[in-house]
Amino acid sequence: MHNHVPHDPDKSTNDPQLHQLWNTISLELRGLLGDSPFDLWFSDFRLASISSEEIVMVAPGTMYAIWVEENFKTSLISAFTKYLGSCGRIRFEVSEAASAVFASEPESQVGGPDREHPARVVPRILVEKVSEQKLLERGRASGLVEIFRFENFVPGENSELAWAAARAVADQPGKTYQPLFFHSSCGLGKTHLLHGIGWESLRQRPKSKIIFVTAEQFANDYIDAIQKNALVAFRKRYREADLLLIDDVQFLGRKEGLQREFFHTFNRLADQRKQIVLASDCPASEINELEERLVSRFQWGLGVEIHRPGLETRAAILRRKRDDWRMAVSDEIIDRIVELVRGNVRALEGALIRVAMVATLSDEPISVEKVGEILDDIITGPADSRQVGAEEIKRAVAEHYDIDVNIINGKKRTARIAEARQVAMFLVRGLTDLSLVEVASAFGKDHGTVIYAVKKMKKRCEESAAFKSSVELIKRRLVRGGSPMESPRGRRQSPGSLPRLGYGVKTGDSDLD
Amino acid sequence: MKFQIEKDVFQDALNQVQHVVSSRTTLPILSNVLIQADELGLELSTTDLDVTITKRVSAKVSSTGSTTLPARRLASIVRELPTNEIDFEVNADNAATVKSGPSFFKILGLPATEFPVIGEFGEAREFTIDQKLLRDALRKTSYAISTDETRYVLNGVNCIIGEGMLTLVATDGRRLAMVEQDLEFPAGNETGVIIPTKAVNELQRLLDGSGELKVAISDNQASFELNGSLLITKLIEGNYPNFRQVIPSQANYRVTVEREVLLAAVRRVSLLANEKTNSIKFAFEDNRLSISANSPEIGEAEEVIDVRYSGPRLVVAFNPEFVMAPLRNLDQDEVFIDLIDESSPGVIKIDEPFLYVIMPMRVAG
Repeated sequence: MHNHVPHDPDKSTNDPQLHQLWNTISLELRGLLGDSPFDLWFSDFRLASISSEEIVMVAPGTMYAIWVEENFKTSLISAFTKYLGSCGRIRFEVSEAASAVFASEPESQVGGPDREHPARVVPRILVEKVSEQKLLERGRASGLVEIFRFENFVPGENSELAWAAARAVADQPGKTYQPLFFHSSCGLGKTHLLHGIGWESLRQRPKSKIIFVTAEQFANDYIDAIQKNALVAFRKRYREADLLLIDDVQFLGRKEGLQREFFHTFNRLADQRKQIVLASDCPASEINELEERLVSRFQWGLGVEIHRPGLETRAAILRRKRDDWRMAVSDEIIDRIVELVRGNVRALEGALIRVAMVATLSDEPISVEKVGEILDDIITGPADSRQVGAEEIKRAVAEHYDIDVNIINGKKRTARIAEARQVAMFLVRGLTDLSLVEVASAFGKDHGTVIYAVKKMKKRCEESAAFKSSVELIKRRLVRGGSPMESPRGRRQSPGSLPRLGYGVKTGDSDLD
Repeated sequence: MKFQIEKDVFQDALNQVQHVVSSRTTLPILSNVLIQADELGLELSTTDLDVTITKRVSAKVSSTGSTTLPARRLASIVRELPTNEIDFEVNADNAATVKSGPSFFKILGLPATEFPVIGEFGEAREFTIDQKLLRDALRKTSYAISTDETRYVLNGVNCIIGEGMLTLVATDGRRLAMVEQDLEFPAGNETGVIIPTKAVNELQRLLDGSGELKVAISDNQASFELNGSLLITKLIEGNYPNFRQVIPSQANYRVTVEREVLLAAVRRVSLLANEKTNSIKFAFEDNRLSISANSPEIGEAEEVIDVRYSGPRLVVAFNPEFVMAPLRNLDQDEVFIDLIDESSPGVIKIDEPFLYVIMPMRVAG
């Protein structure tokens, strides 16, 4: 009856089709039985094999197998019958190690969204079994990088929407958001999600054609094709993809020929209901000199911003990294690192590596106090040391123009006041991480006004050295600390509390160029 | 072999041993009771090769010897004998004559040498337990034993001795009964064995007195010695599954109800239990419990009883037999029903270390 089987991870846990089918059956069972009985009895079950005569399930314990068989066999049979057309004998094997294995299996850690969006697989896919190795090869050939999988992504309140959208698109490409457009400043996980969508799609549909490229690669391919007179092959390659993932699309800006080519590729794929996912470091509307028709197409689907992670999420990310890298760094030290380093995830990783290095070299456990010392130069860098908020910038600008801060917020549009307001918008945009909409709402204007102001100020800076230097002056005062702002206002308190004031200041001058 | 015995004594002894004898057996000798007479009295033994019971009774033995006689038949004859004094004589051909007052019976038996010898008891752990304690614990659990022979490890009561506790568990995959009794055992006696159903039933029959009983457990056998009886049983081989996996660790709501009131109401309502699903509905709400059954084309039944309950309205369907079984076998006035929600297992508890997990059935509509 219940055979004890030694756990063989290659055999079943990693079989993506079975895993996927089980997800689907799980959803059905959930509907039949309700959430709490399902979670209670089935959460650690998995599917070991399927043939026309017999379905073998692995239970996390003999008692589970017995109780499930006694109490839920008819529900199981009807769920399987619904998806497979027929259902042979159901046999249970018991793996006492199963529960432990499940705990360490990444899917189950991020199980929430996974269970909510399991794809409906058609049984036919079950026939074409693809080994993990083969999947890896295909993924690499598609340009996917192994480490960026959904399993290693740490979703937090900063990326909730992006994470949900990514999973939805991976589960049902071409059906939900077309295109899906991620934007955020660098190092916050756009690329990770892009790759993750690729891997997950591949796992669910091993035969699908997935292409991951950066816009730059796309451009190089294009140029190459022109040189070799091989545009036909180039177009065939891109226009026959089932899933096209393009990173750093802001690179398309100012490149007319490339944009035209991309426009046609985009249209072709969209017409065929193929999924396109894009990532950029700014919203589509802000990409430099991007053709209007592309902008509008990029805005068709869903645009999602990934925000800077909050303290807890940063800590969660670092803990995951530490575990992945097997570093001996305590939670307290990680908490200290995330307190000190407010930058993007790459900066966090760098800080973690440095702390871990010092720990290995010094043979001594690192104390929490020492973390500050080790990371001294990272955290006292000129840019990250100060937090500047929109209100503070407005005040500084008002002071500079010698007007009342309320006037900046007001509606008066005399030349001087309008200029002050535009400079303030320009600086807020440049010095904080607030999105366009957030900047606009901080000024009580719409985002078009902000775009206009930023463009205009940028142009004036280019044209007039005097104007530029006066703007620089305000900026320097702000960054080097005019009125001190000690309170940790920059830290995200709760998502959605708008307007969010103050964030880590972006590194200086380049933004104003 | 010749002896004189009192009817009551003989009848009691035969009653205690005759249940082991199986009615359909391929070996005729297994239908018989082995009677051995020595200077002190008689020893009656029956076996089905798994369970063996031996009972000592006093008798006036004038000539020692042994024989086997059909157990059931002998018992019914003895029961009907007219006087209290029985003269018993067996000749060399194993033909027994029974005289009691004006009655005379002659019964043909089989030689004692054909009676199976009970296997040697290997090295065993021995200890004593209070009879009443073991009887209560068996009574509170044995009804939940599985009768599904494909799950042979569940065809008995799992008996765990260790950590200062005697734990008895029985389950059939739809319900689970467990008693956990504090009990000091000499160290080194920790063990877990599965006592098969038949032995459990026989043991319960034997456990009617007070005082202690002697238990010996070897690798594959167990023996229980009490009140002049000895029961030896094979144990079920295999590992009892980890039953703690199905015991809910916590509950959200507790219903307090009078046991007999609940039992009577369930019994009445179950008369109209849906024949297809064999379930009845329990609706808990504001200190009242409405028990209802609905059997299409037959009719409906409902009974409302007072309980102590202050949670939200909960409607749970249970198999009425599964609810009644523990209620019949408990003797506390009050029982508690612990619930998590409408679809998670319910737990019946009392003020003593006992619990009974019961799976709800899906409420249709």
